[in-house]
Amino acid sequence: MSLKKLKYIRIVISLLIFSFLLLFFLNVHNGWLDGVSTVLLRLQLFPSLIRFFAVAFSVSSLGFLVVILLTFLFGRIYCSSLCPLGTLQDIISNISRRFRKKLKRRFVYNPSKKSILRYSVLAAAVLLWFFGSLFLINLLDPFSNFGKITVTLFQPVFSWLNNSLSFFMQSRDIYTLSPMLAQSLPIDAVAVSVGIFATVFIMSAFRGRFFCNTLCPAGSILGLVSTRSVFQIRFREEACTMCRKCEFACKGECIDSINKTVDASRCVSCFNCFTVCKQEGLYFHNTMAKTKKTTTIPLQNIAVENSQAEKRNFLLTLAAGALSIPLLNKVSIAVPAESPGIVPTGTKAPVTPPGSLGNEHFNNNCIACYLCVGACPTNVIVPSFFDYGLKGFMQPKLDYTKSFCNYDCLRCSEVCPTGAITKIDKETKHTAQVGIAKFVKKSCIVTVEGTDCGACSEHCPTKAVAMIPFRGNLRLPEVTEELCIGCGACEFACPTEPYKAIFVESNFEHKTAQALGEDEGPRESEEEEFPF
Amino acid sequence: MDRRNFLKNGIMFGAATGFGAAGLANATFDMTSFRQQSLKGNYDLVAVRGEDVVAMFEKAMQEMGGMSLWVKPGQTVVVKPNIGWDVTPERAANTSPELVAAIVKQCFEAGAEKVNVFDHTCDNWERCYTNSGMKKAVEDAGGRMIPGNFEQNYRAITIPGAVKLKEAKVHEQIIDSDVFINVPVLKHHGSTSLTIAMKNLMGVVYDRRFWHRNDLHQCIADFCLYRKPDLNIVDAMLVMTQNGPKGTSTADLVKKNSLLVSSDIVAVDAASAMIFGSKPKEIAYLANAEKMNIGTLDLSQMNIKRLYL
Repeated sequence: MSLKKLKYIRIVISLLIFSFLLLFFLNVHNGWLDGVSTVLLRLQLFPSLIRFFAVAFSVSSLGFLVVILLTFLFGRIYCSSLCPLGTLQDIISNISRRFRKKLKRRFVYNPSKKSILRYSVLAAAVLLWFFGSLFLINLLDPFSNFGKITVTLFQPVFSWLNNSLSFFMQSRDIYTLSPMLAQSLPIDAVAVSVGIFATVFIMSAFRGRFFCNTLCPAGSILGLVSTRSVFQIRFREEACTMCRKCEFACKGECIDSINKTVDASRCVSCFNCFTVCKQEGLYFHNTMAKTKKTTTIPLQNIAVENSQAEKRNFLLTLAAGALSIPLLNKVSIAVPAESPGIVPTGTKAPVTPPGSLGNEHFNNNCIACYLCVGACPTNVIVPSFFDYGLKGFMQPKLDYTKSFCNYDCLRCSEVCPTGAITKIDKETKHTAQVGIAKFVKKSCIVTVEGTDCGACSEHCPTKAVAMIPFRGNLRLPEVTEELCIGCGACEFACPTEPYKAIFVESNFEHKTAQALGEDEGPRESEEEEFPF
Repeated sequence: MDRRNFLKNGIMFGAATGFGAAGLANATFDMTSFRQQSLKGNYDLVAVRGEDVVAMFEKAMQEMGGMSLWVKPGQTVVVKPNIGWDVTPERAANTSPELVAAIVKQCFEAGAEKVNVFDHTCDNWERCYTNSGMKKAVEDAGGRMIPGNFEQNYRAITIPGAVKLKEAKVHEQIIDSDVFINVPVLKHHGSTSLTIAMKNLMGVVYDRRFWHRNDLHQCIADFCLYRKPDLNIVDAMLVMTQNGPKGTSTADLVKKNSLLVSSDIVAVDAASAMIFGSKPKEIAYLANAEKMNIGTLDLSQMNIKRLYL
């Protein structure tokens, strides 16, 4: 097979994988789509690595070994095909080229010692992780960023288009396309995504895979592996005519056509060089075959050796910075006394999804890819900002002012790629106590207005919130804490404004609620006749 | 413009223009609707006990005079069951999908052009529609499931004579459909003690929190001034007697094996309340409705057909 075809194979495969993941993040799913996408999730480097530690030694978390092995054999195939942000950058780069003047020299070899930045970022990210914060990985990991961009920027557009079409069809009396519930995303989280997308957009529009070779921690790890990979792209000196076409087509800016070297650590295996070369001046060199005379001068290892000191300095500054940023507190609003909803309420710490075991496990393992945010059918999972402090920057939380967690739904636990939300079954979910409902009597409609309400109890799936007799014929909510799972249905349903008269206080460490009794089946009726 | 004005204007417009096709169409449409408003059927109330809800429904409608009394050829029917909760049919927190499917079929047999089913659900709407079994049952019967959880489908209306609920956003299906069939399930309810036909209409407005904030029992009664269902069919087969309205298990249910059909929403609620074991006058929204002359709670004056299958 001609090496020239490799590029086209790469394009087809990467677009296929990209489409699967895009649809998955956009929450378009069915049985087999879910299956394929789940396999692709397991093959994402950082999600898989983190999963390995979160869900100790399960087979499902060994995907990173496959990626490393693949890289060791053929170079950064992960970056060219498996990484959805990589393909997104290729798409941006390709489109932007069409809007710019025809550049003969699309890319040029970048000889600078950017590797220092690159490996410093990687070292900082990894060390912070071992110190318990995924801050840098959440900010830089390509899978996580693809997710953030898709869920907070693309999904609202997708949903708006879907709903416009759906309601247009409805106006023509066609009800075949279901509208999607609006996701109310916090503006700060959207701003972060816009910042990330803008950065990635500009970098890829002008410099191809510049992001992958500077800021991306996955790219850096695989760069370290790919310098030692079995098959590497090399120059065939006798065939090369120094036309430099390969250099100008290289998205990784890693081909030095003057010196006839390829920086394997930065090569993202796009194979553009093979296709563009008219002379077959480049080939896949088998580094295991010892007998051949070397036609290249490997450049790879210099950077690694030089970067140790910088890594440490960078890390210390960063860690100090992290410690100094305090938790943001909620601002209280002035309201008139003697009306329902006057008492400021709301959980002190954010509530994490059922299955996440508690804030600590969640913060330690969530890479803020927002797959759960996009997948949640009730939209109760929303991105946070500094709610968890810097440690859990941007990680999702449950927002019961927006919605509540469906009693029988396990979706987030099914999709979470890192094990931050562990996979649970319905039985576990039904007793997973993520928080406890707190009732504020003096803020309740029933107490203040003297009329029936009970919206909280209506929505409670375990009847932890029950209505008990109160003043005449009225009924007042009462919470049985052992039965409460903290799903937030009561808080969401509570009609008081501006503050809810019932709210869920998070369990920093999730507890187990009392299970409901056995399902004994319906009872027989005593009467046989109508009572009227 | 409210419904009554629309009817009046339509008739006058029809009479005035008389000859135009549009005018004729308007006139016929409005006359049938007008007739439906006062239509009772053969009885004020038909109550059936039995095991098979579909057979009971068919018998009840036969006694009433048949679905074609209410549904005329070419009309659009909206059926409003309770599909509020993401639970399976065995839990009886939602109306029996079998019963709703049977209603949809009869509407089509009477010549309905479209039969649309919806609820503004409490749990996630897609999960409710699917897991309640309603979507499959209705679509198999040829009906359509319409989304009820989107503000785009709601239009603002005013309710003249209302005490608390003077305006509301109501689902367009309720505003626009020719025939409105209400199919509640009889259940215990934490807030209002019982949910039956009147309470089921909370599922046709967008902002339910307003009701909870502004005297729930009064708002429930007020809404009946806007549009009363043409027919109420109460599913009282498996009756949730505790932990309502969602329930926690099938142990909350009692087999009451009953079905009630009436065009009088207050009467059917009163009868259902008695089946439940409550005194109708003690249900605050029913007392309000009687006070406002929306209907009567006194079943002794009524022409009731009781059937035991």
